[in-house]
Amino acid sequence: MSLVAQQLLLGVLIGGLYGLAAAGLSLVFGVLRVLNVAHGELIMLGGYAAFWLFTLVGMDPFVSLLVVVPAALVVGALLYLGLFASVVRFSDETRIKNSLLVSFGLGLSIHALAVRLWTADERSITTSYGGRALTVAGLAIPELRLLSLAVAFALIALVHALLTRWRWGHAIRATAEDWQAALLVGIDVRKAYLLAFAIGTGLAAAAGGLVSVGYSVSPSIGLEWTLKALIVIVLAGLGSMMGTFLGGILLGVAEAASAAAFGGPYREVVGLVIILLILVARPQGLFGRS
Amino acid sequence: MLEVQNLTAAYGDFPALADATLAVGAGEIVALVGPNGAGKSTLLGCVTGLLRPRAGTIRSDSRDLLVLHAHQIVEHGLALVPEGRRLFGQMTVEENLWLGAFTARARAVRGESLARVYGLFPVLAERRRQLARTLSGGQQQMVAIARALMTSPRLLMLDEPSLGLAPRIVEAIFETLTAINEAGVAVLLVEQNVRAALRLAGRAYVLEAGRVVGEGRARDLLEDPHVRRAYLGPLATR
Amino acid sequence: MTGRGPRPIALGAALVAVGALALAPTLIQRDDVINFVFVVLLSITLAQSWNILGGYAGQVNLGHAAFFGIGALVTRALWFGGTNVIPAMLAGAAVAVLFGLVIGVPAFRLRGAYFAIGTLVLAEILRITVSNVFPEISTLPTATIGHYRLTDRYYMALALAVAATLTVAILTRARAGLGMRAVREDEDAAEASGVAALRLKLTALSLSTALVGLAGGLFAYYQISYYPQHPFAPNWTFDALLITYIGGVGTLAGPVMGAVLYTFLKEYLAVRWVDFHLLIFGVLFMAIVLTLPGGLVDLADRARRGLARPRRPRD
Repeated sequence: MSLVAQQLLLGVLIGGLYGLAAAGLSLVFGVLRVLNVAHGELIMLGGYAAFWLFTLVGMDPFVSLLVVVPAALVVGALLYLGLFASVVRFSDETRIKNSLLVSFGLGLSIHALAVRLWTADERSITTSYGGRALTVAGLAIPELRLLSLAVAFALIALVHALLTRWRWGHAIRATAEDWQAALLVGIDVRKAYLLAFAIGTGLAAAAGGLVSVGYSVSPSIGLEWTLKALIVIVLAGLGSMMGTFLGGILLGVAEAASAAAFGGPYREVVGLVIILLILVARPQGLFGRS
Repeated sequence: MLEVQNLTAAYGDFPALADATLAVGAGEIVALVGPNGAGKSTLLGCVTGLLRPRAGTIRSDSRDLLVLHAHQIVEHGLALVPEGRRLFGQMTVEENLWLGAFTARARAVRGESLARVYGLFPVLAERRRQLARTLSGGQQQMVAIARALMTSPRLLMLDEPSLGLAPRIVEAIFETLTAINEAGVAVLLVEQNVRAALRLAGRAYVLEAGRVVGEGRARDLLEDPHVRRAYLGPLATR
Repeated sequence: MTGRGPRPIALGAALVAVGALALAPTLIQRDDVINFVFVVLLSITLAQSWNILGGYAGQVNLGHAAFFGIGALVTRALWFGGTNVIPAMLAGAAVAVLFGLVIGVPAFRLRGAYFAIGTLVLAEILRITVSNVFPEISTLPTATIGHYRLTDRYYMALALAVAATLTVAILTRARAGLGMRAVREDEDAAEASGVAALRLKLTALSLSTALVGLAGGLFAYYQISYYPQHPFAPNWTFDALLITYIGGVGTLAGPVMGAVLYTFLKEYLAVRWVDFHLLIFGVLFMAIVLTLPGGLVDLADRARRGLARPRRPRD
């Protein structure tokens, strides 16, 4: 029994990272109506950035977020300007299709580049203080992963605060709801798009950094994490950072439960099956509004 | 205040505006009336920068509006209350109004603007923390007008504000428009409710199939036989 | 577009090309060259089959590999079980089509992005399941390896590539093809003007899955040893997309040109940097989607027209 509880706990811990990964994509899709299937590759890059900062300079992975995230904001802005700024000129349906295709090429390119630069090996950060675990009610909580969960939550809470208290956060939300009405109150919608995409990239890089310390990164995690993010978005719907975070945890728990019930190899399948069922039954997700 | 000359617009192969010309002077109330599909919304769309015309010019105080982005046109002082309100439904009334004062110019006078719109629409003050989408149609229309007023406009344009509203509420809203105009804001009113629009406005234009087929003082147009026959109903006597 | 016959030059060139390819194994005795052409031909089928649904009917299918894999799985199983390879391949294609129809009906209710995601997810589920149920590598028994003849596979690949291209050619002129184009442009408008969108999409899906299912079966016949999950891997889908778009999505020659270029780059560049071709094609893909939606075919068209026009003085 406690073994199952332990599995579920680990599911919660990684679920927080799923939520963080999804939050960035949710912001981008919700505001720009652009589907960036290279989101997972951005996560992967964030993971490698943290890994190399640790390996080459000895920077603590949690501290390196202070470097990686701002850098990711800039990278996100550049990616938006270079690739997606022209796509957003189209209507919704064409936008989604073209952004899907463009980001598909982007993901492939980033993946190929990563393989060339860093080989296909898995990398992981082992800090000196890692490996310890708190024991609560007979369950072992790995400290590192708990810290990652806390950081993930903090970042999501930060973005939530930005969206609700910052003037441009309001502008981003307004643009997400109705970009023409946003233009009519004088919001430069292109700027809102740029900000949203940059923040989304920043969140992705942060998720990657946390993944590299608690788990591992390799060039191929891109597709996997894009799918995880998509599953969470379909689960939780768009429009709520907190809802997305919860959705991530839900996925983590669902995966753990399925692994406990059907065995490890089918852990991945449950998330995919969930997304399919929800897509067919309720495309706007569990928490989202249609 | 606003000069539209020879505006031509189309949706693909489908013509929407042909050589439309109109003008709004400072402090005026001008009505643009005509049947469904005449191109009235298209004209407003071109003025606000949401649509691109094929030909023609749009100027405001000698500024060429066609080279500006939509949000810059708002900054310049032209605000639109769009058809169907287009509120930010997930946000509260007050958040909607705050967003109205997004531009730098409007933000500078946000406090006064807010006080003024709450004075014009007291019911909004009561419901300031309510989610916009939970309001009634009439109240939503008030929020839409109030939000446009928050942009501190010199010209307020409205696209079919009476649509879907009870006559009593339409009357109240039109009274408010008079008050807004008396405070110095020019008004361009696009309406299907021709009678109410012509009663409110000083001057008016009639748009049919993308062309301006009539213009003049609103009072005169009310008496015009074509207008009466086409828009004021077979029983129109006054 | 439709109603116009193929340009005589193009048709002539195509016939010459097919003829040359048919003669190739007798003239060229080198196995590596035949293998290379085989891969090109297989890629043509892979891409043309995707082109039917993605290019002509406008439905971006990210689960193409699922049907490739099903064709491979069924064919391999039957062939190893003693069935002759041709009926085995046909059975593989049939199962692929069936699977496609079963998921097509609910999947086509999803539009645009959701359809793409849904098909991708489905393919992944299939791949993971197959990798768990059939984890061991599948290898040709040594006795069969002794009888292995590359030229048989080669001619099958040629026949399949011709069939796929012919299908697309016929579709361009048939009424169904017109309907598919209408659906691609604007599904709601098409539906409103009487086009039975769902039926057309299912038709496109069936043709697409049948062809790629056969391709998968051919792969199972060709590849001596592989992991059963390999034909289900997303790379096959990605290859199809890359080839089709870079060549020219929704065109007849696009997948052909794309396949030649792609395979050439892949084999030629694999020496120093294994996935370099993917980086190049990834970047090219983005460039094409953003600036030249017609792909290489469009580029060739423009070049030809540009050359034909007399030079004009600058204004």
